[in-house]
Amino acid sequence: MTDLTLLGIAEAGRLMARGEITSTQLTEAFLKRIEAVDHKIASYITVSADVARAAARQADTEMKGGVRRGPMHGIPIALKDIYETAGIKTTGHSHFKKDYVPAIDAETVRRLKDAGAVILGKLGTHEFANGAMTPDQPFPAVRNPWNTKYQPGGSSSGSGAAIAAQLCMGAMGSDTGGSIRNPAGFCATAGIKPTYGLVSRCGVFPLSFSMDTAGPMAWTTEDCALMLDVLAGYDPNDQGSAKTDKVDYGAAAHRPIKGMRIALARHWYEGEDSVTPEMKKGIDEAVRVLKDLGAIVEDVVFPSLRDYHIAGRVIITTEAHAVHRQDVIDSPEKFGYTTLRRFQLGAFISAEQYLSALRFRRQLTLDTRAAMRGYDLIMAANQWGDPEIFEEPQAVFHFMGKPQLPMPFNITGQPVTTINCGFSSAGLPLAFQLAGRAFDEASAIAVGAAYERATPWRAKRPSL
Amino acid sequence: MPSPNTPPTLEEFRVRAAQTGLTLTSEDIEHLHKGYVGLLSLMERIPSGWAWAAEPPLVFRADK
Repeated sequence: MTDLTLLGIAEAGRLMARGEITSTQLTEAFLKRIEAVDHKIASYITVSADVARAAARQADTEMKGGVRRGPMHGIPIALKDIYETAGIKTTGHSHFKKDYVPAIDAETVRRLKDAGAVILGKLGTHEFANGAMTPDQPFPAVRNPWNTKYQPGGSSSGSGAAIAAQLCMGAMGSDTGGSIRNPAGFCATAGIKPTYGLVSRCGVFPLSFSMDTAGPMAWTTEDCALMLDVLAGYDPNDQGSAKTDKVDYGAAAHRPIKGMRIALARHWYEGEDSVTPEMKKGIDEAVRVLKDLGAIVEDVVFPSLRDYHIAGRVIITTEAHAVHRQDVIDSPEKFGYTTLRRFQLGAFISAEQYLSALRFRRQLTLDTRAAMRGYDLIMAANQWGDPEIFEEPQAVFHFMGKPQLPMPFNITGQPVTTINCGFSSAGLPLAFQLAGRAFDEASAIAVGAAYERATPWRAKRPSL
Repeated sequence: MPSPNTPPTLEEFRVRAAQTGLTLTSEDIEHLHKGYVGLLSLMERIPSGWAWAAEPPLVFRADK
């Protein structure tokens, strides 16, 4: 039999619907592989094997009886460890929460369970989705499965690493300033940062309440779309939640893309700051493929990447301080060094500076929308080049380095996908972003999925 | 009155640190001062002089 851990969500769902495999077989295959290889990359903090086996048995019983809950029924997934899970530890990768067992599930977890998904466990992250992978954490730092001498990107580090290493079929990440797209890009998975307000954040540890988004990661864009079908929808318990029409994202993955218009923000990654030559080549080739598929791709000038970067950094630094202020005052020794410094810095930002950044965000959103007029999507590089080396400590004040390529769409709130577009000569992943208009995840999914079907990259996996 | 984007000296920053309510050592303050000055230099890109009276409601919605 084929290695079941190589199956995608869509394919596994079809096989289970036809009775050719069971959720129990699928779940056991992943649990066995986690046991065999996860010690090399430390992607899991908690493996909930018993809970997973019980959910898989229930899914099998239901499917045998003719009950089919949808494409996530019986699918083994995992969760970034900032998603609250009833009866399963939710640590935030922090000493503060290392023994915390929530009583109820996050809304997204509830929706996934209702759809029949099987929860394999909880995945490593940067402390409270903000810090760095440092040795002063209660759990080991996650490594990149393509080369364990490198970091996997963060903060949804375990989510990206576990998917690429075939240790789950999909995972939940969160994205405040690129935390889904960084690990998706560096681990060669797909990922969707949904429009701000599309997916509930109720029961997800907050970092920056006006920027936080919760979203799916998986091996393909189509698989992310199937997860998003379950996740999207209004939640009165999330103040940022939006009431929107139901969209069939899974179907969007098969829409034709001929005639779709894509604005290429080339000046973000080939200007003041530039990607590596291999990344540039990978994106140029991706543009050629999209044109061959019938899309129209044209260079368009947007506001400076540095403008989005600083607006985002001021807002996140201020809001993260507000969220964690009491713990920073009462128990600073419990934070990792880098996390503490980043949370302390927000105490020095004045009300005027914060409000100016909010006004600037609004201005940048309007300017981006104006520049995008006449286009369905914005395309840009996802990362500058190779990931950081594992042993090299991350800069405490990371905002002083190059601006972050994912930040524009956290500022505007637009939906955005990360798509792998090959590998560097060192065997490390290359990737680009596709951003749609607010609440038009479907267009980004359509183009991303079409690109993945037209290229060979989804057939390549890391060897561990 | 100095511009809000004029970097504070370390001594001025110490005075501000005492007002934050955080427990900070001299080493903490020196490190945070470097970070703050770096952030402040990037903040020069943020326009000043907004028409505050026209501030829209502070609810961030991607589609509005």
